[in-house]
Parts: sequence; C-alpha cells; structure tokens
Amino acid sequence: MTKPLTFIVSLFLALSAFAAEERIVIERPLDDLGFLKPIPVSISGFSGEVDSVLKNDLLFMGVVNVPLEQAKYLVTGSNGSQVEGGVTDKVTKHPVMPRKAYTGGSLRLQTHALADDIAQALTQLPGIAQRKIAFKTHTGPGAKEIYIADYDGHGAKPVTQDRVNVTAPSWLGRDTLYYSSYKLGNAAIFSHALKTGQRRAIARYGGSSISPAVSPDGSKVAMILSKGGSPDLYVSDPEGGNLRQLTTTREAESSPCWSPDGRTICYTSRERGGRASLFRISASGGGATPIPTPGAPIPSEPDWSPNGKWIAFTSLIGGTFRIFITPPDGGRVYEVAEGEDPSWAPNSRALIFCKGPDGGKRLSLLDVPTKQTKDVPRVLESNSQPGWAR
Amino acid sequence: MGTLKMLSTTQQMHMKCTKFVSLLALLVIAVGTGCKRGPQGTTPLPGYGKGSVPSDRPQGPLEPGPKVGEDLTGGGALPENLKDLLADPNQPAVLRDNTVFFAYDSADIRPSETSKLDAIASYMKSSGNKAIRIEGHCDERGTEEYNRALGERRALAAREYLVRVGVSGAQIDTRTMGEDNPVVPGHTEAAWSKNRRDEFILLQLPGGVGATNPQ
Repeated sequence: MTKPLTFIVSLFLALSAFAAEERIVIERPLDDLGFLKPIPVSISGFSGEVDSVLKNDLLFMGVVNVPLEQAKYLVTGSNGSQVEGGVTDKVTKHPVMPRKAYTGGSLRLQTHALADDIAQALTQLPGIAQRKIAFKTHTGPGAKEIYIADYDGHGAKPVTQDRVNVTAPSWLGRDTLYYSSYKLGNAAIFSHALKTGQRRAIARYGGSSISPAVSPDGSKVAMILSKGGSPDLYVSDPEGGNLRQLTTTREAESSPCWSPDGRTICYTSRERGGRASLFRISASGGGATPIPTPGAPIPSEPDWSPNGKWIAFTSLIGGTFRIFITPPDGGRVYEVAEGEDPSWAPNSRALIFCKGPDGGKRLSLLDVPTKQTKDVPRVLESNSQPGWAR
Repeated sequence: MGTLKMLSTTQQMHMKCTKFVSLLALLVIAVGTGCKRGPQGTTPLPGYGKGSVPSDRPQGPLEPGPKVGEDLTGGGALPENLKDLLADPNQPAVLRDNTVFFAYDSADIRPSETSKLDAIASYMKSSGNKAIRIEGHCDERGTEEYNRALGERRALAAREYLVRVGVSGAQIDTRTMGEDNPVVPGHTEAAWSKNRRDEFILLQLPGGVGATNPQ
C-alpha cells in the first residue's frame, strides 16, 4: 500500500468510528427462543464483595464477565468509600454508560444499583438486583412465616411473626404483600403494608380463602375461595370488595397468576376426564381455555413473564418437580430446571424457584436462556414459594 | 472541547490517554472516551436519600375484614359462623377413629371409606346441635398451592357425602392444611398413603351442647 492510500484508509476508519459513536449501536442478538444472548463484558477495578456481587448480579441480567480479548464492552470502576462504575465500548471507546457514583445504603446495595444501571444500559431490560423477594419460611412444627430479602437472599427479615401457617406471598407494588394465613382460624387472605405493618383480612369466608395473586397494576386480586362449596377462582378489588366468581367447576382450581396486561388469568384445574391442566380465562369472566403442555404433566403454580411471552410452571414427572416454560397459548414446553414454584424477575429472563425435599427446601436463581443457577442462602429450615417484586 | 475541560477538573480521573497528534484524534477524544471519566453526580439509593434507614417491618394488629360479596346459592355453600371456632378438647372416638384416606392426586371418596362417613353421619344426626370441621390433607407430592386446593377439595368431598346422607351443611365447615401437616414423616408411599386424609374435628359451639368450655 502506498502512503497516501494508508492515510485515506485511516481517515475513513476514524470517521467511521466517529459515526458509530454518534449512533451508539449496541448489538443485541437473540437466541432461538428469543432471549437476548449474553453480552460479553470485561469487568475491572472492583474488589472483594463488590466484585463478586456485581458479576453475580449481571449474570442474571444477560451480561457475562469474560476475558478481555472476548469482551465487547468494558465495565470499569472502583469501590473505595463508595461504588463507582461505567461502561464503554471496547472498540469505539464510546461511553455506553457514563461513570456514576452511588451513595447511601451499603456497598452491597450500591453494587446492586450499579449492576441494574449497567444491565439496563446494555440490554435495555429492567434491572432486577434492587427488587426484593418474598418467600415462605419454616420456623418450627406447624409454624411458618413470610420473609422478605434482597433478590440474592441477603438481608432477610421477617414480615409475619404469628407462629402459624402462612402461605403464598404476592406483591402489590413494592411495599405491600398479600398472603394467606391461618392466624384467625381458617385460611384467610390478608394485605400487609410493609412500612406501617398495617394488615387487613380482605377475604375471610367459610371454608378456605387461599392463593392470592395481585394483578400487575395492583387494581385486582385473584384468589381461590371454597365458600361456594368448591375451590373456585374469584377476583376482587385490593380491599376485597366487588368480589366476582370466575369459575364454577367442581374441580379444585389453584394457583392463579396474571398476564402482564391484567386481562387474563392463568391457573390450574382439571379437564374433563380428570387430567390436571393449565387454563386461561378472561379476568372479566367467560369461558376457560386449556393451555396444553404436552410432556409436562400436572402443571401448577404458573407465573406469567412481565413481557408476556412465557408462562413458567411446575410439572411433576416421576416424583420429581421440574420447571418448564411455555408460550401463553401452550403447545410446546421447554424444561429449564429441576425444582418448583418459579417466579419471574422483572427482566423476564431470570427466575427464582425452590428445590429440595419438604422441610429442607431452598431458593435458587436461574438464568433461563443459559440455564445457569445459583443457590440463595437459606433462612432457618426450609424456604419456598418465592415471589419477586416487579 | 467542553468534555476535555470537565475531565481535567474531575478528581477521580485517571488519564491514561496516549498522545494524539492529529486534529482528527483530538476530535475522537472530545466525544469521548478512551479515558476513564469521573462520576457525573451521585445516585442516591431509594430509601437512603435523606439519611433514612428502612425500619424493621413493624406488624400491626389484625383488622377483621369487611363482609363482602354474597354467599353463593346452592346446596354446597359453607357456613360463615363456624370458620374460626376452636376444637372441642373432648373429641369423640367416632370422629377421632374415622379418618378418611384418599388415593394419590384424588379427592374421590373410595368405597372402602364410606362406612366411616356413615358412622360420622349417625353421630351428627343423633343431636342437631353439633358442628364439625373437616380438615383436608395431602402428601408432599404436588406443589404447595396445588395441594392446598386439593386438600380443600378432599374436605369438601366428605362434606358432600355427609350432606347427601342427611347431615345439615350448616353443621360442617372445611379447612385445607395442604401438605403442611403430615401425620407420618418420610418420603415413601407408606407415609404418603397415611398423609392423604380427611380429619374430623368437633368444634366448640359458644353456648351449645357440644361446648364443654365455651369461650
């Protein structure tokens, strides 16, 4: 090559880089199921707990730490008295996320905030690391309590201290939990404001009032009531008023969840002939439609992803619980983990679920497309029924 | 070149930029970036903005809920007045000894179990002023909420039988315990078959005949 040509090529490349920086192009390739392929980054400058928490957080948000030569983006920062960090494109050096510093809380919480910001900038998906989980804990024979914790199980605190059976926590926003408790006798459904501790029975009838599920916009609560003589699906407002019965079968309806638009409820019941199946029904009433899950028998405890694309549920195969995902219309299923009772993260990518024998269950996190899991520290004897605040 | 100026005044800056000689290279630096940049302000974490620390979640007293909705018509509706009554300390043998057992994942009353329910029906009909609660239980197979509904369905199946043979539905409440109270521990069919059951419990009726120690 002659010297003038080299100069022209250099000029062209430089101008191309300049143009690329102007557009901020981030490639986000998808896998066969439509999940974002993990975005390779090289993380440097952090140490100790901050370093490990950051890498763990990002793993469940589709951002994976790789050797420098394989990385497309550089995550750099520091953790002295406060956590700081930013993201640049390795090639163009363009700042994908300008460096930020965090104050307050603990270094651990600051790291979660940084991880959420990094993931949001790279994946355009909502962060998950600052959202709490609620779950059920065994505290002794016949006694369970609801706990909340960071999504990775740290900072666990009791919500109830009743020493009775309590089940099925469901979030309304980020400050209120609904659950079913035997505190007053039969199972009744309570709302519990976390900041004030105020709680109210919103469904307390003859028979059992169980399995509350708050709609995504917080305007309705789905639940299973047996007051009419069979466990049927009902919907009320958040205070328990305007109660409406949606199903009238003799079968035991169970474990409702909502579509993200709040129009449809998915739950478990039985088809004619007795086979357990998932069903979907309009939240305003009407006929129920089975959701076929071929190869995944006795489907239960469904959870609809916030982006609407998947329903995660538990199947019981040969005495083993397995977690599958299926499109909302069913027809095909994909096994993603051994375990039960999945709950989607806000990014519609990670799940939290439980696994292990009765009395010794523990929570575990799952990155659905890569199937990577990480166990969450156990609180007391047994943890189950996790619910991710979204 | 405002970016360069800002960089030079930022404390956390760690300049590692190599020398660039051409104007073109300076332009690239100006937009941005091979250099680490200082934080653009700080981002307070939610709840920590003004020195506040989230308190331990307090727990207030329970408020009884409002009466909402209407009882559904039809023979199956459950009584409202029994749901939170305590068990009578003196449980009759006819209830204690006639636990009804179920097949796996089923709430059907098997023929082998009907004589137990007939005995309970006779006892209930011998005095009109009794109330019982049927507690439905499951083995550990099945997810928790699936089993909670199945346990209720099992209790209701026994209630339906008792009503069909002449016991008033107003005397019978149901409660599901799901898989939470196994009577036999273990992970074998021998344990599971004993845990899939309905238990029958005499309730303390305030002021009633069955009330030996009314509240």
